[in-house]
Amino acid sequence: MNFVLLHYLLLKGGRDATLLLFSGLGFVPRGLVLQLVEGYLCLQNILIPRGTQDNCCDEASANNSKEEPCFDGEDDPIDNATLVQSSDGEAHYYDFHIVYSNSYRVPVLYFRGYCIDGQPLVLDDIEKDLPANSSKILTESKWTFITQEEHPYLNRPWYTLHPCGTCEWMKLLYANKAPMVKGVPVDQYIISWFSVVGQVIGLRTPLEMMRS
Amino acid sequence: MAGHDNGSVLQFAPFQSSVDEGFWHRLSSLKLNQLGIDESPIFITGFYAPCSHSQVSNHLTLLGESLPPEPSAQSSHLSLRSGNRNRCSVPGILYNTNTLESFQALDKQSLMKAEAKKIWEDIHSGRAEQESSVLSRFLLISFADLKSWKFYYSFAFPALVLDPPAMITSLKPASQCFSLEEADSLTAVCNEWRNSSTTADVPFFLVSIDSNSHATIRHLKDWEVCRSDGYKLLFGFYDPCHLPNNPGWPLRNFIAFICSRWNLQKIRFFCYREHRGFADLGLSLVGEALISVSQEWKLHKHIPKAVGWEVNKGKKTRCITLANSMDPIKLAVSAAELNLKLMRWRALPSLDLHMLSATKCLLLGAGTLGCQVARMLMAWGVRKITLVDSGKVSMSNPLRQSLYTLEDCLNGGEYKALAAVKSLKQIFPAVEADGIVMAIPMPGHPVPSQDEHDVLEDCRRLQDLIDSHDAVFLLTDTRESRWLPTLLSSNANKITITAALGFDSFLVMRHGAGPLVDYRSESMSALSAELGNFSLADRDKRPRLGCYFCSDVVAPIDSTSNRTLDQQCTVTRPGLAPIASALAVELLVGILHHPHRIFAKAEFANSMDNGSTEQPLGILPHQIRGSLSQFSQMTLVGHSSSSCTACCSIVVNEFHNRKMDFVLEAINHPTYLEDLTGLTELKEAANSFDLDWDNDIDDDDECVEI
Repeated sequence: MNFVLLHYLLLKGGRDATLLLFSGLGFVPRGLVLQLVEGYLCLQNILIPRGTQDNCCDEASANNSKEEPCFDGEDDPIDNATLVQSSDGEAHYYDFHIVYSNSYRVPVLYFRGYCIDGQPLVLDDIEKDLPANSSKILTESKWTFITQEEHPYLNRPWYTLHPCGTCEWMKLLYANKAPMVKGVPVDQYIISWFSVVGQVIGLRTPLEMMRS
Repeated sequence: MAGHDNGSVLQFAPFQSSVDEGFWHRLSSLKLNQLGIDESPIFITGFYAPCSHSQVSNHLTLLGESLPPEPSAQSSHLSLRSGNRNRCSVPGILYNTNTLESFQALDKQSLMKAEAKKIWEDIHSGRAEQESSVLSRFLLISFADLKSWKFYYSFAFPALVLDPPAMITSLKPASQCFSLEEADSLTAVCNEWRNSSTTADVPFFLVSIDSNSHATIRHLKDWEVCRSDGYKLLFGFYDPCHLPNNPGWPLRNFIAFICSRWNLQKIRFFCYREHRGFADLGLSLVGEALISVSQEWKLHKHIPKAVGWEVNKGKKTRCITLANSMDPIKLAVSAAELNLKLMRWRALPSLDLHMLSATKCLLLGAGTLGCQVARMLMAWGVRKITLVDSGKVSMSNPLRQSLYTLEDCLNGGEYKALAAVKSLKQIFPAVEADGIVMAIPMPGHPVPSQDEHDVLEDCRRLQDLIDSHDAVFLLTDTRESRWLPTLLSSNANKITITAALGFDSFLVMRHGAGPLVDYRSESMSALSAELGNFSLADRDKRPRLGCYFCSDVVAPIDSTSNRTLDQQCTVTRPGLAPIASALAVELLVGILHHPHRIFAKAEFANSMDNGSTEQPLGILPHQIRGSLSQFSQMTLVGHSSSSCTACCSIVVNEFHNRKMDFVLEAINHPTYLEDLTGLTELKEAANSFDLDWDNDIDDDDECVEI
């Protein structure tokens, strides 16, 4: 299995299917999003709209403004052709990457969250965005925990579902398949994989993907 | 905003920026590796796409690729990073300053003017027709603080101000402005335009609809042709905005371009928006604007005013901090914590990492044992480590004392305690390590009266150190140097662990609780619930576990003078120290996780009797004695002796009452301790014991005369 397998997901369903694939609870793709980049699949800019509740971005900027030096200069002209918008609670954006891990030999999900100004979200904030049953799965399962690792291509810390248990629970998933032929078709594997992993982070796998 | 005949001022939704973390990473490395203090402006590329969601606008995005890739000379003209259907490239310029002060001192007005001038030039020179994305050029000013990894920045999207402003006479969803056929045709050609790699990233275009309801999209440079066609004509652009009643910001300069270049006063525009990647005429808008600027305004030499500094939550400047993903120290700390957390998740859910990181450890001795213990403690997540050693690093040390290198030996050698701390910080910068250069006063090494004051100072200092830490490791190389620390620990009831090496054998043990602890006191009441079944009488009678000296019948004496050469160099097999140090640290972790901690009773390997409290870390022995020659280990127990020279209640009480006077006396007169504890009597009694040897040996044949 190498990154060519990741192609399957993209080619099989085409753009529509993949968009369907990733519009789960509250997640909204902005523009065409799924593409194969340099060996990994990425889904960028998934938006979680938020209400006017306080969130990390507000707090972060509140903290910053205490230490921040004063920036008021002369006011630049605002002309009457400019619409003045009220600032709502800021949305959180997420990027998801599916990368193939050579050492564990399974696909691994990497993700990160951030506010629109680029300020990354910490794990506590991300966990608040996850649907309720995801947190349940995370705390109860001994196979899924979120850790922070260096992204193998971007060389920056991203959050990831640690892959050490993947092999075991994939085996469980296929345990009832009788008889076990020589391995599982590649595209089926990744959809099955995603059906578990997606639950943990609140992404739903639509039935259409399962059927194909 | 329905159509009004007299119209109202056309209000545009401001462009919003979105800067990906990767942009700042790239800028930081550019600054550090190439630019240095060079503050000249940098050409950058922004990316945006038409709105694709009915509730959220699209942003102008900066990514790592927005910055120039090659270190070699930047060309003075633009080389735009190519776009695709997801990212339409827009040229921009970055002014990054070297200090916060110069950031604040930037003349924002003149910078804005300069960009406005460029746009105006591009309009009048015809460049905007060839490369229409220059109409949306933007400006970014920033200050990258590469010490705290904080980035301050402000965006400007210069828009030429029409004077008087444009008026809107109608604005409706596009689906309401076309016939069904026209709409279908338009949708089809839009999707085609968006799918073709040559046109996907062209954000301004002309829409021409002929009398057969057939739509075509053309480049701006085809204007003359379109005009002469006489068909229905709209000016289309990629609209990032989602609002139903306002067009997006790029339309501002587009209108300025249209009216000054092509002299139109009535402009029918098409705000192109998508849904899920396809043209959506329900979200897209069609509107009509009336321009009434004077001829003066259109003159090339009069550069119009420009507005467009981005305002976010009332402020123009934003600040983000990326320390968590860029600061190497923070990265090292989170990686270390990750390791421990994985251990906890996968194998030891009861591991208390917070407690470990808060435990203050005092290491007496920074030699072979001290260096290894310090490293092991850090690996367990202990952050607060104090090392005490009076010696300097000598040439033979680095081989066995794992914190030192050759450099520490030069010029007479660094003080071990200080070199060790430096080394610990290089391994793990977040460690809170302290090095104390101090000798431990020892019995049997009498103190000349002129030094008395200093020695007593050292004693007090040692007592303070022990009192202020949670666990003490005795890792020195003589027996007598362990006496005072043992006494002080006993007095303060601190967790104490001794490691001692022979040539090929070692001892690692934990000292028992001190004798002064009131078993009925408050600290015990927390335990009483757990001790449960034990009766009060049992608890009082349960003997304390012993200390390092409990099994000795001689007081510590001077063991260093009058030694042969091989006795003076502590000769041990190299493998011993790492083994003993590792066991010492594992023992500490076991104690810290045991509910009874210092009061925990001794447990033994391979014993049936470890039932009552099965600890996840395993048994908690009192003593471990190991032998390398046998590759074996034994777990033993030694109970406290009532005549122990270091921890028996007589001695500790005496210390408690007379403090440093007592210590001084013990140091200067070692027999004092033996007298005090009754050891002297014990020895006399043993000597006077008459052994009646049986001289009748029958098997003479077995014996050989020597």
